[in-house]
Amino acid sequence: MSEQRGLVARDLRVRVENNEILKGIDLTVEPGRVHALMGPNGSGKSTLAFTLAGHPNYAVTGGSATLDGTDLLDLSPDKRAKAGLFLSFQYPAAIPGVSVANFLRTARQSVRPDDLTPAKFRKLVFDRLDTLDMDPAFLGRYVNDGFSGGEKKRLEMLQLAILAPKYAILDETDSGLDVDALQSVGRSVEALRASDEGNDIGFLVITHYPRILRHVPADVVHVMIDGRIVKTGGPELAEEIERNGYDELRGAAGSLQAETAGGVA
Amino acid sequence: MRSTVATADDAVDFEPTEGGLARVLGLIEARDGAGVVAAERERREAALRRFLDTPTPGPRPGRGWRHDYDRLSIPGVRWTAGEIVLPASPFDAVAALARDADADVPALAVENAAGLVHLGARVVRAPASSSLPDGVLVVPFADAVREELDGVDGAPATDRFAALAEAFQNCGAYVFVPDGTVIDKPIQLVFATPEGNDEAVFPRIIVRLGAGARATVIERHVGSADAFVCGTVRVDAGENAELDYVAVQQAGENARVFMQRSGDCARNAVVRFHLADLGGTLVRSIVDLHLASEGSRGEAAALFFNTGFQHVDLSTTTTHHVGNTTSDTVVRSAATDRGQGRFTGNIVIEARAHGSDATLRDDALLLGKRAHIDSVPALEIAANDVKAFHGATVGSLDEDALFYAGSRGIARAAAVRMIALAFFEPVIARLPSEALRDEVRTALDHKIDAATELDG
Repeated sequence: MSEQRGLVARDLRVRVENNEILKGIDLTVEPGRVHALMGPNGSGKSTLAFTLAGHPNYAVTGGSATLDGTDLLDLSPDKRAKAGLFLSFQYPAAIPGVSVANFLRTARQSVRPDDLTPAKFRKLVFDRLDTLDMDPAFLGRYVNDGFSGGEKKRLEMLQLAILAPKYAILDETDSGLDVDALQSVGRSVEALRASDEGNDIGFLVITHYPRILRHVPADVVHVMIDGRIVKTGGPELAEEIERNGYDELRGAAGSLQAETAGGVA
Repeated sequence: MRSTVATADDAVDFEPTEGGLARVLGLIEARDGAGVVAAERERREAALRRFLDTPTPGPRPGRGWRHDYDRLSIPGVRWTAGEIVLPASPFDAVAALARDADADVPALAVENAAGLVHLGARVVRAPASSSLPDGVLVVPFADAVREELDGVDGAPATDRFAALAEAFQNCGAYVFVPDGTVIDKPIQLVFATPEGNDEAVFPRIIVRLGAGARATVIERHVGSADAFVCGTVRVDAGENAELDYVAVQQAGENARVFMQRSGDCARNAVVRFHLADLGGTLVRSIVDLHLASEGSRGEAAALFFNTGFQHVDLSTTTTHHVGNTTSDTVVRSAATDRGQGRFTGNIVIEARAHGSDATLRDDALLLGKRAHIDSVPALEIAANDVKAFHGATVGSLDEDALFYAGSRGIARAAAVRMIALAFFEPVIARLPSEALRDEVRTALDHKIDAATELDG
């Protein structure tokens, strides 16, 4: 077991229904840092998120994924969460009949057993609701059942804030959000990072558009095209994409592919 | 207060045959005298004939469904005339019953045992009239017959097993709530068959609410014996009355339970049937709601969860006889192991019932590879200008929801349990009290513990 801290992928290769989607991903998200993962639709960003979280439909065919040295690939999804991984879903599932309050309590109890008294847990929930501008009536509703797109994303952020993982993957959290909702997401992440529980969380923010990065500023930006990370840089890379789109980088991906092919030949 | 003492000689083997009925009539004659029995003989014999001559609609034996209604054999089950046995201290009798019966049954906890309690077919506790609001009656059915209370003579049963219940009727209850009386505390009718009480219990229950009256009646079946329970329930809600009729069936795992429940609503009255069929090996539950006056509303909310070898056959029929009536039927069922289930949901809107509004929603969850549930909805609409909605699903657990829960640290087994229990909530949520909701949730929780296969 390596002692390297971070959420680390090494040459990670993934197949879905016989198509290779991830073609060797190398990525390290360090504690306390925000990494943005950008790329056009279909480049494999969500596949990386689901693979790290342990979705059964994604078959890892090569490489490794570790969390602070713990091999994630052998673990069931719940054990990955217990190890400190959190995925904010782009399309979270509804669980009719299970109240938000009950779900939050069960999840917190699974990830951090008995670390808070019921009163302290209650206070935590209400504080976090407040940060997210959420009505406490939310707690009585069934998980994501009949929620609007914005409500679903807020619930994801509420869970992030309450579970306070070691590493959080935010998969297209900005999609379908209006400016107000985006601002409260930004405030929530900021408040979490300023708290004792959350100041060391490493973030992988997956996004198509750079606008979420104005609310959750990235330290590092990666660009993924066709299952590979083709470029890594500072925040200025996101601005560049905003100006020029992905076309230029797509060219880079093409030449990278040609290079690799040439190397093999 | 009468009190009689029963002995073992007061019982005969139960057989659904003419010979069996002759022996039963012999017991009644020994108790009441030949004169009384003569009047009853004709009625019971006619009912038995209807039972023997009427075909049973419902699932036929085949792949999965093992039982044949037409070859019902109930060996080792005893029939008694069901006397009223009120001991010196009814409190002690109920306490003893609570010790004998399944300790998890809250109905039998002494402090909750308000109402009428049967042990087999015998009444062992009846509420003192002083403990009830003025004019309210909760009496053993035998007393209601003797005193010829209103509505005690119903029309002859047409359903096959209702006819069997009429032929062998040996216990039951009569509940009356006068005009304008609102009862906050539920009235409980308990039918207990603890270990060793392998009895044939044929209850007849009548509930009558006067105009503007409101009440909750809870019928409970508890106990671990291999009992045979076959009965009928008839509720009548007067103008503007509101009745919640709850049936929580937790009979023994080898018990057979056949209940037919019907309801009639007067103008602007509401009747809500709530059914939780949790126990028994073979259960046939029938609900028949009639909306024959303007403004009346009928609801049926039912759940069952078949584990082991349980078979449950549930059928609801709501008939809109006149217009401006509304009904709502919601059923949640699940099955695992070798559990088999069937739900037949009928909505009938008669020709003159314009402006009726009916909703029928049923969802089934399969948790085991060999479990099976059939859904057979039927809408029969003869009127124009009505609203009728119907929707049905049969499916397994949602893998996306399981993965989602997993990603929050909830282990698969715990997530399966959580999501399966939550599936019943739309029916549980309609129960009229939090105590009942918790009781049903706990019972379902225990059933999940007992199931061997939950992740099919």
